[in-house]
Amino acid sequence: MVRWRRITAQFRVLLFNKSAEEDLAREVAAHLTLLADDFENRGMSHEEAQLAARRAYGGVEQAKQAHRDKRSLLWVEQTMQDLRYGLRSLHKSPGFTVTAVLTLALGIGACTAIFSLVNAVLLRSLPYGDSGRLVYLYMPSPQIPIPPEVICPSYADFFDIKKQNHTFASMTAFEQAEFTLAAQGSVNRIGAARVDESFFSTLQSTPELGRVLDASDNQPGHDKVAVISHSLWQSIFAGSADVLARNLVLDGTSYRIVGVMQPEFEYPFSSDLPYGNPRIKSTRIWVPLALTPQQAASRSPGADVTVGRLGPGVSVSQAQAEMSTIMASLDKLHGDDKNVWGALVKSFMDTSLGPVRPLMKLLLAAVSLVLLIACGNAANLLLARASDRARELGVRAALGAGRSRIVRQLLTESLLLGLAAGVIGVIFAYLFLRTLPLLDPGNIPRLREATLDVRVLIFTAVVALLTSMLTGVLPALTVARVNLTDLLKSGGSRPTASSHSRTQSALIVAESALVVVLLAGAGLLLRSYINVLSVPTGFSQSTVTLNISLDTRYSQPQQRLEFFNNLIDKTTALPGVQAVGAVNSLPLSNSESFSNFWVDGYGNNPEQLVQLRRVTSGYFSAMSIPLVAGRFFTTGESSSATNAVIVNQSFANIYFAGRDPLGGRISQDEHHTRWKTVVGVVADVRHTSLEEAPSPQMYLPGFQDMFGSGYVAVRSVLPPSTVASSIRAILHGIDPNLAVADIRTMTDLVSEASARRRFQTSLLTVFAGIALLLALVGLYGLMAYSVSRRTREIGVRMALGAQRWDVVLLVLKKALTLLMLGLGCGLAGSWFATRVLRGFLFGVGHDPATILTVCGLLVVCGVSAALIPARRAASVDPMEVLRTD
Amino acid sequence: MALQILQGTLDLMILRTLATMGPQHAYGIANRLQQVSEDALILNQGTIYPALVRIEQHGWTCGTWGKTENGREAKYYTITKAGLKALNEETKRWRQMACVVEKLLPEEQ
Repeated sequence: MVRWRRITAQFRVLLFNKSAEEDLAREVAAHLTLLADDFENRGMSHEEAQLAARRAYGGVEQAKQAHRDKRSLLWVEQTMQDLRYGLRSLHKSPGFTVTAVLTLALGIGACTAIFSLVNAVLLRSLPYGDSGRLVYLYMPSPQIPIPPEVICPSYADFFDIKKQNHTFASMTAFEQAEFTLAAQGSVNRIGAARVDESFFSTLQSTPELGRVLDASDNQPGHDKVAVISHSLWQSIFAGSADVLARNLVLDGTSYRIVGVMQPEFEYPFSSDLPYGNPRIKSTRIWVPLALTPQQAASRSPGADVTVGRLGPGVSVSQAQAEMSTIMASLDKLHGDDKNVWGALVKSFMDTSLGPVRPLMKLLLAAVSLVLLIACGNAANLLLARASDRARELGVRAALGAGRSRIVRQLLTESLLLGLAAGVIGVIFAYLFLRTLPLLDPGNIPRLREATLDVRVLIFTAVVALLTSMLTGVLPALTVARVNLTDLLKSGGSRPTASSHSRTQSALIVAESALVVVLLAGAGLLLRSYINVLSVPTGFSQSTVTLNISLDTRYSQPQQRLEFFNNLIDKTTALPGVQAVGAVNSLPLSNSESFSNFWVDGYGNNPEQLVQLRRVTSGYFSAMSIPLVAGRFFTTGESSSATNAVIVNQSFANIYFAGRDPLGGRISQDEHHTRWKTVVGVVADVRHTSLEEAPSPQMYLPGFQDMFGSGYVAVRSVLPPSTVASSIRAILHGIDPNLAVADIRTMTDLVSEASARRRFQTSLLTVFAGIALLLALVGLYGLMAYSVSRRTREIGVRMALGAQRWDVVLLVLKKALTLLMLGLGCGLAGSWFATRVLRGFLFGVGHDPATILTVCGLLVVCGVSAALIPARRAASVDPMEVLRTD
Repeated sequence: MALQILQGTLDLMILRTLATMGPQHAYGIANRLQQVSEDALILNQGTIYPALVRIEQHGWTCGTWGKTENGREAKYYTITKAGLKALNEETKRWRQMACVVEKLLPEEQ
């Protein structure tokens, strides 16, 4: 209590120091007067009494200081003093302050921006309860050479696993679906999911309004209910409160709305399912799965996804062990198929975030380097400034400022710089986040949710603090080492130059080394990006594609055949349209179908698979896929009963090596009940990804009667929007209840396929650019500084006969030496960086061309930066210089 | 023999002085301390200021400006109720401490 009263009193003094100081002065004066009076009474003269009083009193200033130290919180007062002094001295040299603050702000801003991304993507918790306990359950088979994450357990297996396991607290199975939603006079296709009764409880998600789906909804006859997302509620029902009494018409069927989910819940997002429906970016409607008894008893894998929540204390590997055991026993129930089914338990977070983790690490590493360079620069500026202030600081030391007091003073200044830089850095980061949507590759989960939240701001504060310490500590220590006697003896003419400039040069070398590493990394990524873009895709990028999905009214193959033929005929008839075709899945659309096959006259492996597409006769022409040999399908070959097949070049090279593929025979079943004859060979098309070499592909006719959903491809001279609106009109004429979705040109698909690469390349290039700029500013600063210090020396040299050119060379030589040293270290660094980057590169490894370009760039920029101070040095007038000293 | 002031005892002495003599100015307090110690205590008079400010900030004294008999202005310190209480406690503590030290010293001889 008493202590508290004292502290508040001390704080009061901090605020009202002036009156306390006056009071003290008055009191001391009074005291001295009283003392002197006494001495006078004892018979001293006035003067003697005054002197004696002072002697008896002791040091007046010491007493005052002791009083001050006691009455106030000493450290707060000193800090405030330091702050005031720091602000004043920073204000006095605005050029230095602005450069230092901006330099640090760039570094801190880059770090903050990337950390806010990492925060949104990797750190922020997902709205699914304890998402660390969620796992996906897959049923891979070694016989099927596709990623194990494609196949989830069949429903029969799922129910058995659910019954037999002891490791899961709950499990759910769901399927992705798309619905045509008729609302407000237009029809749209909306991403949806058919979910079982455990879906919401497994994800531990609660509705914002109404209820989620339960077991009774999954009973046949009660399943026409739906839960909608917050965004759909807002967009279609304008957030109206009576939404729970409304209906939704999905694919012509009416569903009663029973619940609205929380705003952030739109699971599954496209990034949550590595092999999900690529058209569904996020899910906005959930309806009951309502399996038929046949579906529930099926052991062949379907389109379902299974998610489980691990029980308390159960690890992924424990779950994996149990699932492997259960699947081994269930595998015996898979009577007729030859595949051996296994189990794979994969953490939900790894699945969703695994692919982006390396990218986030890369970006963090890059911005850390940028920050280091910024720190180096700021430290250099501070060093230069500190040696300019050596005299001032020496005088302070001579007047009794302790070494720690001076270090504190300098650190306070760099702290001020760091703080200002932090604030500006946050502004930079904000601007970056505003431009982020332009760069969004679309496959980084929650990228757009990146914001400057509390965690990010705390991060920034810590970074700013560390940065201040990092930049401030070196100069502060160098200054504190100053030998006072030497300094004062030399008349304050900058005595510590040599040790300072060694440190400064070392910093510049380190900075250029880091820049080389960053530039090399960015260069390699750029080359990879260019390589990816110049990959021959095998199709015309101007082709317009769009998705059309038929509903249950088109259940007969004949109906579908008629519908698509009708649509294609009418579209072909449009003026300006050159070719129209259709396919079940487009290249680079992240969906694939495979088939077993046997080639007549080839040593077939029963497990070999080929990528399979069903097309209409006009598809190749519409996509401009060149014919290599033979012919395309004819319009007569439109049914799946046709025994014609077209293969790609890779297929022909492998399976018809050394013989004519045309007329060759391929069957899709072991017993060869039906041989198909190769009628044509077409060029390779990049189907899975731009960065993967094309695999063997096989095209079959029969798209129309086998698929109710697919893509129409149109090659024309018209702009894409005209094509789209014409097709919309045609479709409306044929069936007004159908919607066109996913209208894109093939350029869009290529662009999407390279978006992640574009994202990482552009970010890294920007950071490397910033780093280069910072390093150049640093180099320029150091050169300008050293020229200004050596003015006298240069003057003498010129007076002794040195030519201007010699002086320029003198400066450039120093700059080049530093750059070369930096380059040397940087090259070693970039050799390692290339190895680390390997996973991000495409078609390029250790690349001398890139490295040479980087070196050239650095040298040219560096020399240009040094040229300005060099010319200033050359313009020194020797007479002027010699006269002033 | 000239004595250094034992850490923390100056507060006690000042409070005692104020309690005995009523309101005093710094000079008066310093004089009184010197008198009582019969000049055994050598005190730079300025050194009592930190103690004065500490005591005042604890709320044990309260300072007001007034005039001396000779018409000089001076700041008079008056002991407060809290100050009297603190004086009691401090005195008790000092006695205990002195007792302990006293007991300890013969053993050491």
